Amino acid sequence: MNPIALQDLTVRYGRRLALDQVTLEVPEGSVYALLGRNGAGKSSLVRCLLGEQKATAGRARLLGHDAWRERARALVEVGVVPEEPNAPPGMTARQLSRFCSRLYPRWDAAGVEARLERFGVPPDTAFAKLSKGQKGQVSMALALASSPRLLVLDDPTLGLDAVARKALFEELIGELADRGTTVFITTHDLAGVERIADRVGILRAGRLVLDEEMETLKHRFRRISFPRSQAAAVARLQALAPVAVASRGWEVEAVISNYDEERLQAADDPEVTALTLEEIFIALTGAGEVVP
Amino acid sequence: MAPLLRIDPRDARPIWRQIEEAVQHLVARGALPSGAVVPSVRDLARDLQVNPATVSKAYQRLTDAGVLTVRRGEGTFVSATPPPAGDARRDERLREEAVRYSSLAVTLGAGREEALATVETAWRSLTGGNGSPEETEGDPE
Repeated sequence: MNPIALQDLTVRYGRRLALDQVTLEVPEGSVYALLGRNGAGKSSLVRCLLGEQKATAGRARLLGHDAWRERARALVEVGVVPEEPNAPPGMTARQLSRFCSRLYPRWDAAGVEARLERFGVPPDTAFAKLSKGQKGQVSMALALASSPRLLVLDDPTLGLDAVARKALFEELIGELADRGTTVFITTHDLAGVERIADRVGILRAGRLVLDEEMETLKHRFRRISFPRSQAAAVARLQALAPVAVASRGWEVEAVISNYDEERLQAADDPEVTALTLEEIFIALTGAGEVVP
Repeated sequence: MAPLLRIDPRDARPIWRQIEEAVQHLVARGALPSGAVVPSVRDLARDLQVNPATVSKAYQRLTDAGVLTVRRGEGTFVSATPPPAGDARRDERLREEAVRYSSLAVTLGAGREEALATVETAWRSLTGGNGSPEETEGDPE
């Protein structure tokens, strides 16, 4: 049984469809990155996953439990780093750790101290007085202390500077190396997550338009470009079913999602380049209809 | 050692293959002499900011190919001796890569002479001379 299993998950706010029959599974030990532009439905999905919101239809299972009806039981083994870390404003990180230690069967208090030190977060400063980045780091340190089976990170690098972002990814990598924890992460930091995630999902207007292994995803996407003056080449482009086409100066650039060296016409002599995850994301979620 | 190894997100090869081939190259040109210790999976993953499972996969393949040796409790090292000629797996890989290179040469319209001369040049650039890679300078022992 997979740690996360969503089936036809649908959320409707009045007339607006925030999530439209999303089905996805996250296998044990994998790192799943959920991407999407603002308003694509990521937050609704995470709220359903963590039992904070009841789906309009469909279901979300978390570690084998129904995320809504059996929320308490499911969450014991889940570490969460929320988008907006929240805690009683007067409590310090150290007090929070002591408080949480009573709620979880395994609590690694020494681990919390060590991580706070690595992050450079003062352990005896009131939560309200910490910066946004530091609040995120406290919640990361607390999330890992329960030795969770599943870690859910909701845009954890939002508002972090480059140094803090690196520190956060290093903690995550250490956790993966030590325990092989299953990770579900939503993020806008595509360059960071590209090196860590082994599966990617892309939400667009509430629909999961892509759900695929990172390796096959990167394997099948390419940008091809050639001079616009080659009318014959431009005409042949349609046959490649490009997901995005753009004219830049005297060049035509197309992003194709079904790269196969043999299908490209040698006569067109196109320049072929591999794409970063960010470029793939933009090609799939920018303008126009999506045919992944 | 880590700065010698870089990951390029614009490279079409998967990250584990980039690591695998980079280590192979470092060993081939003597930058990683036999017996040299390589970073732990965890350390390399942190340096490169990649998933440890990815590094682990590259190391596993290099170990299977006889390039690296794992000594329990001590770490991972560059193998003292490459697998001997006649080792089925080694011979097969050598043959496969030769076929791949030859096919590329043919499709690019390179003749036999040019293709072999290119291998010769590449060989020299690895060894810094015309010997085999093991005989090169840079071995501290």
